[in-house]
Amino acid sequence: MTASLPVPNDIDPEEPDRHSSARVVRITDSVPQPSDKPRRPARAPRQGGKSAPRKKRATAAPVDPGPPPPLPSDLEIAASVAASIVVPPRPPLPAPALDAVAGPEPVAVAAPEPVAVAEPEPVAVVEPEPVTVAEPLPAVVPALAPPAAPVAEPVLAPPVAEEPEPDATPGEPASTNESLAVPTLPAATGDALVLRGVTKRFGSTHAVDGIDLTVPAGTFYGLVGPNGAGKTTTLSMIAGLLEPDRGTIQVAGVDAATHPLAAKKLMGVLPDRLRTFDRLTGRQLLYYYGVLRGLPPAVVESRTADLARAFDLQDALGRSVSDYSAGMLKKVMLAGALIHSPRLLVLDEPFEAVDPVSSAIILDILSAYVAHGGTVILSSHGMELVQRVCTRVAVIVAGQVLAEGTVDEVRGELTLEQRFVELAGGLSDVEGLEWLHTFSG
Amino acid sequence: MAAHVLRLRLALLFGALRGDAGHVVRVVLGLIALVVATAAACWALLTMRDASTDAVRTVTVLGGSAVTLGFALAPLIGALDDPLDPRRFALFGLSRGRLAGVLAVAGLISVPILALLAVGVCAAIMWADHGVPIAVGIVSIVLGILTCSLLARVCGALASLFLRERRSRELSGVFVLVVLVVVVPVGVFLASLEWRGAVPSQLLQAVDALALTPFGAAWALPGAVGAGRAVWPVALVAVATIVALSLLWLWGVRRLLTTTERPGTGRERAGLGWFGVAPGTPGGAIAARSLVYWFGDRRYVVNALVIPVAAAITTVPLLIAGVPPEIVALVPVPFAALFLGWLPHDDVAYDSTAIWMHISGGVRGVSDRVGRLVPVLLVGVPLLAVAVPVATSLHGRWAILPALTGVCAVLFLSGLGLSSISSVVAPYAVSRPGESPFQQPQRTSAGGAVAQGLVMVGVLVLSAPVVWCGWLALQGDAEAATTALWGGLAIGLGVLVVGVVIGSIAFERRGARLMEFAEST
Repeated sequence: MTASLPVPNDIDPEEPDRHSSARVVRITDSVPQPSDKPRRPARAPRQGGKSAPRKKRATAAPVDPGPPPPLPSDLEIAASVAASIVVPPRPPLPAPALDAVAGPEPVAVAAPEPVAVAEPEPVAVVEPEPVTVAEPLPAVVPALAPPAAPVAEPVLAPPVAEEPEPDATPGEPASTNESLAVPTLPAATGDALVLRGVTKRFGSTHAVDGIDLTVPAGTFYGLVGPNGAGKTTTLSMIAGLLEPDRGTIQVAGVDAATHPLAAKKLMGVLPDRLRTFDRLTGRQLLYYYGVLRGLPPAVVESRTADLARAFDLQDALGRSVSDYSAGMLKKVMLAGALIHSPRLLVLDEPFEAVDPVSSAIILDILSAYVAHGGTVILSSHGMELVQRVCTRVAVIVAGQVLAEGTVDEVRGELTLEQRFVELAGGLSDVEGLEWLHTFSG
Repeated sequence: MAAHVLRLRLALLFGALRGDAGHVVRVVLGLIALVVATAAACWALLTMRDASTDAVRTVTVLGGSAVTLGFALAPLIGALDDPLDPRRFALFGLSRGRLAGVLAVAGLISVPILALLAVGVCAAIMWADHGVPIAVGIVSIVLGILTCSLLARVCGALASLFLRERRSRELSGVFVLVVLVVVVPVGVFLASLEWRGAVPSQLLQAVDALALTPFGAAWALPGAVGAGRAVWPVALVAVATIVALSLLWLWGVRRLLTTTERPGTGRERAGLGWFGVAPGTPGGAIAARSLVYWFGDRRYVVNALVIPVAAAITTVPLLIAGVPPEIVALVPVPFAALFLGWLPHDDVAYDSTAIWMHISGGVRGVSDRVGRLVPVLLVGVPLLAVAVPVATSLHGRWAILPALTGVCAVLFLSGLGLSSISSVVAPYAVSRPGESPFQQPQRTSAGGAVAQGLVMVGVLVLSAPVVWCGWLALQGDAEAATTALWGGLAIGLGVLVVGVVIGSIAFERRGARLMEFAEST
C-alpha cells in the first residue's frame, strides 16, 4: 500500500522546472488513473515541454493545499471502473483524489487545472488513498476522449510528474518512504525513462521515427503496436542493445549515450527472440546473470533460490536451458532480469508463451515491484492484459507514437483493443480472397 | 576403540568389492593393474642388484619422491569422500589425540600402502645386496611408509577443510592438467639425458637435493649409507618430516572436529560446474561460460580437434620433400601454437545473439576479453608445455629448446592478442549454436576471410624477428636461442596485453554494433 503514495513533489529543489511542470500535468493525469498502480503521476498530456510547465506551475502552486474531496459523481464512476479494473497488487494512490477534481475539466485543458492536485497528494499521505481510487476513474473518461484525437501531440509530450517517490524507492523498497507515507520527492528521480526524438533506421526504413516517451518512475508502462511497428527496436535502444541514430535516452536521469554502463546498471532486460546461453543449466544461467551484474556469488546463489521458488523453476534448475519450453525460458530469463534488483525493467513480450498461472505469478511479482517504486516498461500484443495491468500506455504505429497517456486516456470509451485497431488503421475490408471461399476439395 | 576402527577399515576395504557388477569389475580390474604394476616394479628393483650404487640411488630417490608426491596430491585431486574423515567420528565423543592416532594407524591399512610396502621390501633386499645393513633398509621402509600415509591423511584433511565446497570434476581436471604440465616435460627431459651406462651428473645433483627434502629423505637413507655420504642430515629430515606431519595431523583433526562444514555452500555450489571453480567475478563467470562451451559445443570441439591434425599433416609434404626428419620434428609445434592463438579470432560470433547478455549487463571490456581467452589458455598452455619438450627430444638437440619455446610463445600469445581485437572489430558469421560445425552460413561479404587472413598475417609479421632468431639457433647459434626465448615471451606478452586493451575498449564502444551484427546473421 505504501508504495502507492507517490506523490511527493512538494519541492523540486533540483529541477524546479520539471517538477512544476510535472505536477501540473500530473494532476490531470492522476485523475484519470483509475487503476491503482502505484503511481501514475505523470500523464498529463502536454507536449509543451518545459516552458509550458512552468506556467502551470505558478498557478498550480497556490492550489496545492487543496487535495480536494472527490466528487460524488466521480465516485460512482470510479466504482464502476474500479470493478472492471483489477489492480490486485496495490492499493490506490492518494493522488487520485485530486484527479477527480481535474477530471471534469479533463482533456485538453488538463494541464492547467490539474495543477493543484498533484501537489496535494503528497500531503494526503497514506490515508487518503483508498478514496482516491474511485475518483480517478471518472475523471479519466472525459480526459480520454480528447487525447484520442488522432494526433500524437496531446498525448505525447507529458513530461510531467514522474518525480514521485519512485526513484527514491528504487529497487528495494525504501523503508523511509513508507514511514513517511509521502515519498520523498526525488528531485533527481522524476522519470525512470525519458526518450526524446529517438530515431532508428535500418537501411531506408524508419524502424523508429522520432519517438518521445516519458515513463515516470513507479509506473507500469505498456507499449503496444502492430507487428513491425518498432516496439522491439525501441526497447532494444532503451536497453542499450542498439544505438539510436538520433535522439537521447535517459534512464533515471543518466544519459545512456554518455554513460552507457551506468545506465545499463539500472536496467533489467528481457529481450524477445534473442538467444541465451542455453548450454548452461538454469542454475548456471541465473548465476551468470547475477555475476555479470557484479553481484557476489553468495548473494546470487541465495537470490537464485528465491527466484526459482517464485517462478516455480526449482525442478528445472539442474536441466540445460536448451531443454526448456518457451514459457520456462521466458520465466528463467525474466528471473535473470530481476536478479540484480534493477530500477527499470525493460520487458519485450514478457507474457508470450507463458501459461496463465505463471503469468498471474509474474504479474504479481511485477506489481509488487512497481508498488515499491520500480518501473516496468513492457511491450505486448495482449490488449486485455495491458488494459488491466498498465498504468500508462503508448500506441506505436510505424515507428511513431500515435497515442500516449493513461490507459483510460488512450482508450476513451472504447476498449483498448478497439482503440488500438482504430489507431493502427482499422480493419480494412479484406478483398481479393474470394477464391478462399470456393473450396477445392 | 582402536580395534573397532581397524575392523571398520578392513570392512571398508572388502566392501569395495561389493556392489553392482560393473562396479566390482572396475575395482577388480584396478586391483589387477595395481598388482601387475607392483610386481613389475619389484622385479625391476631386484634386477638392479648388480647396477652401480649411483644408479640404484637415483632410482630409489626419484621413484620414492614421486610416489610420496602422489600420496600428497591424490586426496587433493581426487574428488573422493574419505571414509576415515575425522568428522565422521565427531559424534562419538572420542578424545582427539586417540582418534588422531587410531585414524593414522587405520590409514596404514590401504591398498596403495600395501603395494608400497611390497616395493619397499624389494628395495631393501636390493640395498642389502649392495652392502647396506638390512636394519637401515627396514628403517627406511618404516619412515617412508609413515611419511606417505600421514601425508595422505593430512592432505585429505586439508582438502576437506578448504577444498570441499569448490570440489568438482572440473577442478580435478584442472589439477590433472597442472600435474601433466609439470610431469611430462620433466619426464621427457630425463629420458633425453645422455645415460651411456652412467648416471648423468645433473641428475645426481638433483638426487642429492631431493634427498634433503621431505619427499625423498626417507627413501634416500639406504642410498646415503651405501654411497658413503653423510647420513645424519638425511635421517634428520626424514624424522622431522614425520614429526611435522604428525603435528599437522593432530591440528587437522582438532580443526575438523571443532568446525562444521558449510553444507549450504556445498550444496548450492553443486551443479554450478565450472562456475563453481572460477572466481565469482564477471570475468570469472565469462571464463566459466566459455569453458562450458569449449568442452560441450561441437563447434568449438571440432575447431580444437582440427589443430593437432593440421599440425601433424604439415610434416607430410616436408618429409616427402626430403627435409631431414630432425628438422621436420620441430615444425608441427609452432604450427599448433599459431592455430591455437588464432582460434578465438571470431569468438564473439559463436555466441550469436546471446551476446546481448554481456552488452546489456554492462560488462567491462576487460572481463569479456580475458574471460574468453581462459579456455584457449587452459588448452593451449598444457598442450604446448607437453609438445615443446617432446618435439625437442625428437629433434635431438636440447640447445634448441629455448628457441622453440620462444617461437611458440610469440606465435601463441600474439595470436591471442590480435584475436582479442578482431573478434570485436571484425566478427563474421559462423554456424549458429546447435548447428553442425561443418554447416557454414552464407556470407555476403568477404569480411570474414579478410579478418581471418589479417590475424594470421599479423601474427606472422609480429613473430618474424623471433622466428628468425629461432632459425639462427637451429643453425647452431646458441645465443640466438636465448634471444628467441626472451624476445618471444616479451613480444608475445606485449601484443597480448595491447590486444586485450584495444579489444576491451572496442568492446565497450561497439556493443550496439555487435548486436546488429549478431541479429543480422
